[in-house]
Amino acid sequence: MTADQAIAIRCTVNGEEHTLEVGPGETLLQTLRDRLSLTGTKEGCLEGECGACTVLVDDLPVDACILAAAAMDGRRIRTVEGLSTGERLAPLQQAFLDHAAVQCGFCTPGVLMTLTALLEQRPSPSPEEVAAALAGNLCRCTGYRQMIDALLAVAKEARP
Amino acid sequence: MTAIGANLPRSDGEAKLRGDAVFGVDLAVPGMLHARLLRAPVPAGIIRRIDTAAAATSPGVRDVVIGADVPNQRTGLFIFDTPCFATDYVAYEGEPIAAVLADTPEQAEAAIGKIELEIDEQTPVATPEQALAPNARPVHPSWAKFATAGGIEIARKGNVVAEIVSDPGDVDAAFARADRVVEGFYRAPRQYQAYLEPRMALATYQAGRYTIQVSHQYPFRLRDRMAQVLGVPKSALRIVGHHIGGGFGAKLDLGLEAFAALLARRAGRPVRMVNTAEEERLTAPCRENATVRIRSAVRDDGTILAQDVEVLFDSGAYANNAPAMASIPMFMFGSIYRVGTARIRARTAYTNTAPTGAFRGVSGTYLVFAAERHMDDIANELGRDRREFRLASLADDGHRMLNGQALEQLSILRRAFDLVEQRAPWTEQGRGALRGVGIAAIVWLTNPAPGQATVKLNEDGGLMVVTAATDNGSGAVTIGLRQIAAECLGLPVEQVVVTMPDTDVAGYDGGSQGSRTTHVTGRAVHDATAEVRETVIDKAAAMLEAAKEDLVIEDGIVQVAGVPDMRLSLAEVAMAATFSSGPIAATASYATPPPPHDPERTKGMLFATWPTPTYHVHLAEVTVDPVTGQVTVDRYVIAQEVGRTINPDAVMGQIHGGLAQGLGYALWERVDIDGGRYVQRSFETHGLPLACDMPAVEAVLMEHPEPAGPYGAKGTAEPPIVPVAAVIANAVSDAVGAPIDEIPITPEAVLRALD
Repeated sequence: MTADQAIAIRCTVNGEEHTLEVGPGETLLQTLRDRLSLTGTKEGCLEGECGACTVLVDDLPVDACILAAAAMDGRRIRTVEGLSTGERLAPLQQAFLDHAAVQCGFCTPGVLMTLTALLEQRPSPSPEEVAAALAGNLCRCTGYRQMIDALLAVAKEARP
Repeated sequence: MTAIGANLPRSDGEAKLRGDAVFGVDLAVPGMLHARLLRAPVPAGIIRRIDTAAAATSPGVRDVVIGADVPNQRTGLFIFDTPCFATDYVAYEGEPIAAVLADTPEQAEAAIGKIELEIDEQTPVATPEQALAPNARPVHPSWAKFATAGGIEIARKGNVVAEIVSDPGDVDAAFARADRVVEGFYRAPRQYQAYLEPRMALATYQAGRYTIQVSHQYPFRLRDRMAQVLGVPKSALRIVGHHIGGGFGAKLDLGLEAFAALLARRAGRPVRMVNTAEEERLTAPCRENATVRIRSAVRDDGTILAQDVEVLFDSGAYANNAPAMASIPMFMFGSIYRVGTARIRARTAYTNTAPTGAFRGVSGTYLVFAAERHMDDIANELGRDRREFRLASLADDGHRMLNGQALEQLSILRRAFDLVEQRAPWTEQGRGALRGVGIAAIVWLTNPAPGQATVKLNEDGGLMVVTAATDNGSGAVTIGLRQIAAECLGLPVEQVVVTMPDTDVAGYDGGSQGSRTTHVTGRAVHDATAEVRETVIDKAAAMLEAAKEDLVIEDGIVQVAGVPDMRLSLAEVAMAATFSSGPIAATASYATPPPPHDPERTKGMLFATWPTPTYHVHLAEVTVDPVTGQVTVDRYVIAQEVGRTINPDAVMGQIHGGLAQGLGYALWERVDIDGGRYVQRSFETHGLPLACDMPAVEAVLMEHPEPAGPYGAKGTAEPPIVPVAAVIANAVSDAVGAPIDEIPITPEAVLRALD
């Protein structure tokens, strides 16, 4: 990659402003993992199928492995590292811990991002809506049940 | 008791939830280079020419390696049949032929494309049936000369990798006495483990030793296999394990590690390798495809006089653990039901397809599918209620399996049938009613392979468990071992730390396989902790001037029972001990002793017994859509025997996850092979279960503590997948009113059966 091919972008990642020179073929996943050392977003299939690399771009869950970094100019990106501030886990993370919803943990960051977006859009989803929201996130360990239970518990807790 | 049976969180949970947990693919070290493999583009052929000249001068390339450049002796678990690189011929699509080392993965990939390869394609031996056909081309021309581990004897017949025959000699006579013979032929495909983290390796070579950083289920086997491949002593290898992004059996043997090690030594630099998703699909050690033929000699009163069973499964291009898996049919027939006498012939064959391997519930998934479908076939033939027929055929405590081993607690199954009945009373809808019910029972094992733990009491009263056991997600290490240690010593579980695996540091461990970690390594952890506890009590008794038998340890405090003032913290005891008599630590080892059996009946079997059995019954209610052929699982009920529940939520996690994999196997997942080539090459085409596919599950845990296990615990993780295909196939067969003897049960198959 030569410098003259680089494309300048400005974006925020987990609330922090970044000015980056990215390559034309660079994916958002490469930017996050290789340039910004945000390795919480997982590199799974690199084909946009497993969902392990799910991040939020302007509040929508997307597969970072098939998204061009160059298209991120002006975008607001959130990753698993931005879910909690300080020592305390975010309520969804804590609920995953309490409901044993983590096994191998490789899909977990992507699942958390998908469900974070769901909660923002639909604060009180039905179990079916949670399952449908997870259609882009494969998990081979858990059978999904304890993840769905964790999310429903958070939604219930947040209800006034 | 406080820690046993409690839903305490896993120690690696928070790191995994924050994105801090380091998986194999997250690893990087300064100065590392990157390698890619040239893999065979065809399933079978003679290699005429490999020209690496253009690749060697490609930008960024440091090294190009083919078989001739490295020690390329054939190695293996049981049969030494697997070369590092294919040199003369290709045995399967995806087989490594060359490796390129470069500064970046992209440069390595580009150079791979510049290797000139000429192969004279051969017609692949694509199926086990083709492999066994008269005049079949031998997959390995020099098969007769392959050495075996420990010189074990393997009969060399055509493409047969291994054959187990158990024939008591009275089977034909029993058939002659039968009122009728019921025959079935059952077929199951491969199943891909579909872990999300691809296999990887990061190797360094320094001062005569290799260090391999990896996400692997069985670091000590990896060490041993690499020693074979590299031709170095086991002690020249250090395997350091990191978080594993799923394995399910696929990360129990060699993957990329030996290639990375060879290249690291040649380059004098660290080498990182990661498979692409397509490479994983081409080369993962899938569960083997298999066929099972069962003939049963039956009397009209429902007595099964004999069974004659033929199993044929696909080893793929290399043997891997297939010679041992050929023993498993011996434990799946004549074990829980009385079948009079039984003849078993199990064969596995070489084909020009990717080598198969271990997947949760090895072999059991299709053997139980066949055995329990067949029980339905017999019941239907006799006009008997399928559940009642099973209960009538169920053997009693002390019943001997075909290997002569007694199942002392078989009556647990009767209780399991009752518990399922209480939740989902058995109601036959009538065959072909588009609603159906299926039921199946199993006895499964707990893998006996050895484990060791060193338990150290830190000077602050915290407990450190040093073990090479790996947690591939189940929580067996990060939940199970910690709760066992906490309970045994008497301290809060948060104060128990378990190390990550490192073969330089921890004793041998048999890996995360066969539900063994909680039972076997857990026992070692328990025994080592008990010894630490004794030392603590000795020391505290002297410090408090109290009698040892009066002391209790609770919540990290040693005190004289009933005298709250006479107390010491574990930290005070540990500190005092460390600087007087020395640090407090203990090491214990355990391996499950083989249960008594009849060696005459297990001749030639590499897996002769069924240790630490557990008992399970599953039931499913399904609806089939007569228009679309879709199967909906309306209800799924499980009675699972666990010995003792260490952590209920963790057990449920294994049940939900195992069931999902079982449903995928029964209904949706596709691993089709066409002319030796895999048809599906991506997650999308594979048909993995999604969240919306999962039915409601009701599970009851049955506790029958096993004295040899820590607090009575036995294996938990594998059984939930084993009977699922059988139960679903029985339910769908019932719903459509015709036998469904092949999985996956596609909508097309359902519609055909309804026609």
